[in-house]
Amino acid sequence: MADVSRRADTVTLTIDGHEVNVPKGTSLLHAAETLGIEVPHYCYHPGLSAPAQCRICLVEVEGAPKLQPSCVTMAQDGQVVHTESPSAKRMRQGVLEFYLVNHPLDCPICDMSGECKLQDYVFDEGREQGRAREPKRVFGRDDFGGDVFYYGDRCVMCTRCVRFMDEVADDARLTVVERGDRAVIDTFFESGLDDASFAGNIVDICPVGALVSKDFLHKARAWDLDHTPSICPNCSQGCNIDLHARDNLVQRLKPRENQEVNGHWMCDYGRANYEWINRAGRIESPGVGRGGKRRAADWQTALGALLDRLREIEGAGVRIVGSPFASNEALGTLHRLGRAVGNVTESVFRCRRAEDEDPLPGFPLLVRRRDLAPNVDGASILGFEPAGSDDATGGLGAAASHDGILVVLGDQLGDQPEDFGADASLYVYLGTFESPAARNADFVLPVTTFAEEDGTFVNAQGRVQRFEQGLQAPGSARPAWLVLGALLAAVEGGNPPGSAADAFAALAVEYAAFAGLSHDAIGTAGAVLEPAHA
Amino acid sequence: MSDVPFRNPGWAGNTGEFDLSEADVRGTTYAGERPLDGGHPSTSASYPFMLVARNPGAPLFEGPYQERFEKIRGRYPTARAALLPALNLAQEIRGHVSPETMDEVAALLGLSSAYVRGVATFYTMYNKRPVGRFLIQVCTNISCNLCGADEVLAAFLQHTDTELGDTSADENFTVVEAECLAACGFPTCVQINERYFEDVAAGDVPDILRRLTDELKGD
Repeated sequence: MADVSRRADTVTLTIDGHEVNVPKGTSLLHAAETLGIEVPHYCYHPGLSAPAQCRICLVEVEGAPKLQPSCVTMAQDGQVVHTESPSAKRMRQGVLEFYLVNHPLDCPICDMSGECKLQDYVFDEGREQGRAREPKRVFGRDDFGGDVFYYGDRCVMCTRCVRFMDEVADDARLTVVERGDRAVIDTFFESGLDDASFAGNIVDICPVGALVSKDFLHKARAWDLDHTPSICPNCSQGCNIDLHARDNLVQRLKPRENQEVNGHWMCDYGRANYEWINRAGRIESPGVGRGGKRRAADWQTALGALLDRLREIEGAGVRIVGSPFASNEALGTLHRLGRAVGNVTESVFRCRRAEDEDPLPGFPLLVRRRDLAPNVDGASILGFEPAGSDDATGGLGAAASHDGILVVLGDQLGDQPEDFGADASLYVYLGTFESPAARNADFVLPVTTFAEEDGTFVNAQGRVQRFEQGLQAPGSARPAWLVLGALLAAVEGGNPPGSAADAFAALAVEYAAFAGLSHDAIGTAGAVLEPAHA
Repeated sequence: MSDVPFRNPGWAGNTGEFDLSEADVRGTTYAGERPLDGGHPSTSASYPFMLVARNPGAPLFEGPYQERFEKIRGRYPTARAALLPALNLAQEIRGHVSPETMDEVAALLGLSSAYVRGVATFYTMYNKRPVGRFLIQVCTNISCNLCGADEVLAAFLQHTDTELGDTSADENFTVVEAECLAACGFPTCVQINERYFEDVAAGDVPDILRRLTDELKGD
């Protein structure tokens, strides 16, 4: 490794006794991070500029007369850095004591409790007793509009929020008002954050409980939440997110870092639209029979009967109505099944579209897209064509009166009449909710939402990205790829897929766009498809 | 020149040594004569700003003020750098920096209103509320405090019949505390608009207020 360190574009330094080789221009804080050493910091955030004003990331650098702010001090060859030296620790303890002079210590009622950096650092290294005897000054709560409350008493004045709005959202509407212990974050008097479409990110980057989400306020404690890596289902950008769930209900969506897609950020539209994932009243068991004759059945009975029907009417025309909310695994397996049992004459999906896009100026890759569904591009790759208008209605005239095999997956058919599919020789409805237009379905099969299954979406950049199961499916609802894969195996022979990865592997064989890819290869960061396919 | 024997070393009285009036010594005449357009660009940003008849409704930066604003803007590389003198100028015209003034200055400099608010509230010398014709700033920092600044402050409040920071009913006086006015040799120091009054004792306060009121009548 010695010759690596000689290269001009890297430097070798020693941090806490460990030698580390990093690219030139790396800050000490980052260099320490590569060794797994976390230097406490508030004002520094990897997505923002570093003003070095919180003074808690100071470390001892041998030869430097004073402690150095590790977030802006660049690593240099031969540097010897101590993050845990007595002087650095004493300094951090002092800084923390100052932060607590006016802090209300209201952790028991604070939303940030459990994921708060002030709590963590004070617990790790703070004094057992504060020495301030003066009464604390009190600001109370300020409503910033939008989804944001500001608790000035908890604020550590790191100005991450001010810099986010200025540098990333390009809309400098937050500022530090007043000074000294009267300093608070505020907008221009009453102007607020109402029409700022990315302001929810300031809640994420706030290291303490000063900025909190109104929607999440007092809903759950941080330590009760299960985090599941997922993909935002609310537009075709496919921001990487974590589902935060408690009691099998999604409580909030938080962005997960992916520099190729969304950086550290996500839009307020995506963040706010998660309640539909939790909607109750789902279809919980398979149903067999049309209209009033429908009876609940177990999966074995339902799929057995469906297979019998498929064999009876083999070779018929097949029309498929898919959904851009369904995974590649579901849509691809559905299309394969359609081709296996007949002649697919139409496969469409409907998608709600916004009037315009909403880009994030400071991170141009992130755009809230017009298509308000996660897998529009995946559906297109898998042979589905867009239909209907921009509010996801209409466009199903041919399917409604189709006389062959009609399969609906995921589309709730809210705008369709009750006689939808009345003429179909076989009408299968795979969905999450009962629909009047599913009245004529011969088989109603309960499937899961993206939050209840593993799978992949393809975003607007042509990037295939994985999401994982975060919730338990209601009743006997099953992932669509599992149901359709079992049917396909029964029709074509072979083994049914045992996992979403199996289902995807089958698609990789069949569809050139996915050739060579697998769930493992996609990983947590996603994989870009060849431009010709995307 | 006033005949009132006025204990104030800042103006030692006519000693016969120099042929100067009180106005000459205090600089009010000279300062008052400086052109509204700021004169040479090098002085346009450092012009004392408490001299002009204040009119909260006056338009910002028109006529000679427009010229001065442009000189100020031309002297600084960025809009942010020009913000402080621009706010000085706005306060000179209007007497205080209201939210509307912040908004207008922000628009003129191409900055965000919130940023201008942050700057204006950081500096204590921008009045965020309307003040009286005389802004009385009593130093209560160490030297003055040791020499009775608290009594002086109390006397000003008593004789103007106001609370700290409020404006008297006749809109003549606003009394505020100031940190060190850099006249620690002459405590207690009181700055009234652009003028310093040094060695002020609580007993001097009625005299000072009477002189100020007389000045208004003379106008």
